Amino acid sequence: MPATSLFLIAILAQTDAGTLISRAAAGECDAVDAPLQLQLSNRDRQSARLAGLALAQCRIGAKHFDTAGPVVAQMEKEFPADPDVLYVAANYHQKAWNDAIYRMYQKAPASYRVDQLSAEVFETQGKLDEAIVEYRKAIAKNPKAINLHYRLARVLLQQSHEPAALEAARKEFVAELDLNPSDAVAEYQVAQILLAQGKKADAAAHHEKAAQLRADFPEALIAVAKLRSDAKRYSDAISLLERAVQVQPRSEIAHYNLMLAYRNAGRAADAQREKAELDKIQKPPDGEFTDFLKRLGNK
Amino acid sequence: MIPLLVLLLAQNPVFRDIAPAAGLTRTIPNGGTVTKKYIIETTGSGVAWIDYDNDGLPDAFVVSGPESTSRMYHNEGQGKFRDATDQLGLDRKGWGQGVCAGDFDNDGFTDLFVTYWGQNSLLRNVGGKRFEDVTAKMGLTQDRTRYNTGCAFLDYDNDGHLDLFVANYLKFDFATTPPPGANPYCFYRGIAVNCGPRGLPFDRNLLYHAENGKFRDVSKESGIEAPSGNYALGVLTGDFNGDGLTDIFVACDQTPSILYINQGNGKFEDEALLRGAALDENGRAMSGMGAAAADYLHTGELSIFRTNFSDELETLYRNRGKGEFEDASVESGLGQNTRFVGWGCGFFDFDNDGWPDLLLVNGHAFPEVDRLNIDIKYHQRPILYRNDRGHFVDISETSGPGITTGHSSRGAAFADFDNDGSVEVLVGNQNEPPSLLKTTPGKNHWISLRLEGTRANRSAIGAKVRLTAGGISQYAEVRSGGSYLSQNDLRLHFGLGSATKIDKLEIEWPGGARQTETPATVDRRLTIVERRP
Repeated sequence: MPATSLFLIAILAQTDAGTLISRAAAGECDAVDAPLQLQLSNRDRQSARLAGLALAQCRIGAKHFDTAGPVVAQMEKEFPADPDVLYVAANYHQKAWNDAIYRMYQKAPASYRVDQLSAEVFETQGKLDEAIVEYRKAIAKNPKAINLHYRLARVLLQQSHEPAALEAARKEFVAELDLNPSDAVAEYQVAQILLAQGKKADAAAHHEKAAQLRADFPEALIAVAKLRSDAKRYSDAISLLERAVQVQPRSEIAHYNLMLAYRNAGRAADAQREKAELDKIQKPPDGEFTDFLKRLGNK
Repeated sequence: MIPLLVLLLAQNPVFRDIAPAAGLTRTIPNGGTVTKKYIIETTGSGVAWIDYDNDGLPDAFVVSGPESTSRMYHNEGQGKFRDATDQLGLDRKGWGQGVCAGDFDNDGFTDLFVTYWGQNSLLRNVGGKRFEDVTAKMGLTQDRTRYNTGCAFLDYDNDGHLDLFVANYLKFDFATTPPPGANPYCFYRGIAVNCGPRGLPFDRNLLYHAENGKFRDVSKESGIEAPSGNYALGVLTGDFNGDGLTDIFVACDQTPSILYINQGNGKFEDEALLRGAALDENGRAMSGMGAAAADYLHTGELSIFRTNFSDELETLYRNRGKGEFEDASVESGLGQNTRFVGWGCGFFDFDNDGWPDLLLVNGHAFPEVDRLNIDIKYHQRPILYRNDRGHFVDISETSGPGITTGHSSRGAAFADFDNDGSVEVLVGNQNEPPSLLKTTPGKNHWISLRLEGTRANRSAIGAKVRLTAGGISQYAEVRSGGSYLSQNDLRLHFGLGSATKIDKLEIEWPGGARQTETPATVDRRLTIVERRP
């Protein structure tokens, strides 16, 4: 490093962090950017924290998301539970998201991605009718795009409680599978719908396939285990369910079905053990609101 | 193709609401109709069929919210009812919830028990002429205000005297319950609604044992009060594990359902979880409301059906034998109706083909849901499933205006009130008159059995009947309570299909005594009295 740079760093390091932060707050962001950056490694971590917050806010305000990102990431790493840091991080992601959307609408307004994004936003807002329209537009523009049929199917299921919605959603999941035959989740969803429609044998084939596609997919393992139980192949069912519990140790559905499988196989002690495990998982978490409810209960 | 379709449609029943023509016209007040500020406005109330004057015609009892007395309608025959409330001395007003029936004093006249938020009422039937409130005299006064819901008479120790089970929902009072929107448990899909049940304190269920001419609270010593984290509503009794002792299933809201297994020594244990009757197939607690039981598969075992909240499936727990259950909802054809909040329910063989069909009545808990403009509404139609040899087929949309018309329904009770061979349904609707759903009898045969205990309790509650006709063996039990806070006719109705004779009819009385009968003819009502040894 040249001697002049070393000299500059030494000067800046001596600058009072409080002054820099005040200047940043007064809008002199460009002038204090470099010294604030240096303050990030200040041994006084409180000063480093305040400097990092000021620097991140300056860069977010100037829409310099490329340089704001690393500062936010460093702050989150060093102060993971700090509400001010988390607030600035949320602010950064929100503004970066808005900026990216704006640029996408400006530069590629006719892209299917615009429709997809609109659909996802509507979906988040609970505007399901609008989401369906946008997903359909996206699919029309790019019929081969992965994941659009899947998401549309999911919204169709949320949007209506009519049995007809099941069939509409099933068709979309099947369309997703046509594009991506290795999508175990779509395969599983098709199976679930067929089951609800009373097509047990067809459903079974799709459940089996979902479990084959992904051996670590707990829901598929559980579904196949049920098939084995129905066939009175209890030890096969138990093996599958034990694997599901291993993959997802806090899964209520896995423990519940394993408990019943042990019971069905006459393994009472194992069933009791799983029951105890399930009781533990289903116990409400301790926390502020739980405490409030407990107090209410003690009234 | 078209003739076949016409034929299929023709097989469906046409249910009509004949309540207005029959004289069941009084509105049942039950809290708000646009908003409901408190949970107490959402849970009432039940209905009952009880032949209080032993004239062979079931009378209709409708439990009411606080602005009216509960109504008793006398069945005058010819499809007509007369309001006999005042004449019978039924003058209490209050937050009425549930009702169950049984001849607790074995005098030959069926008595009533009505649950309230507040003190319950044990109404002794005095010779079919009036009802006397004997709550305090019989030792049933409660020490504090309780939110009593479902109830059932049962003889859990088979001593010939009816005991009494009462479910308790939660601890509620108007002064301390938070207003709508006060905490995260006071919202539904983003709109402020009445708080609860989550966030409100649990309460415990009650068991009263009949002894020395009174009832004694045995909740603690029997283990009934042990489950402490359940919001209990509908009560369903039955010998679910086939050991000759009556067990108790309780549908619980947002918490696991309870299955009290009678241990035979005066004690009960909640074995619902391990027996597979507490949760749904995903290990999650549902919002259970009402419950019904039937041998819907002709396996000789009682399976349990439970109504739940919207965005949940109804639950059918198939009894695998010995009281071990598995969730068979989806594979039995009950996997598609998720927009209804179900309450009253019952298995009944509307077409008398020998396969118990299934009806549930619905209505959302929150009138505010109508503001959301979604496909879940406050007023909801019933759901009717035809039992197609063990698989349920939803035939609601083609079963007549009685099924396609929506209300905010709660209780439902089943009886062949006009003795014409087809079973009708009395439905309690919040802030409307009740419905009386009737269809035209078909050509299939039937028999109706009234059982009378002599050593067993006189109502024969807990008696089991096994009937074989036309190659089908059916099984049913006489039951107090059930559905949602309601009481079905104590008579048992069996559809016989095309069979014109009964091959075998066996009664197992509470206590285990068996009796075989050979009815000479079908399509009639038959009274069977327990033989003395």
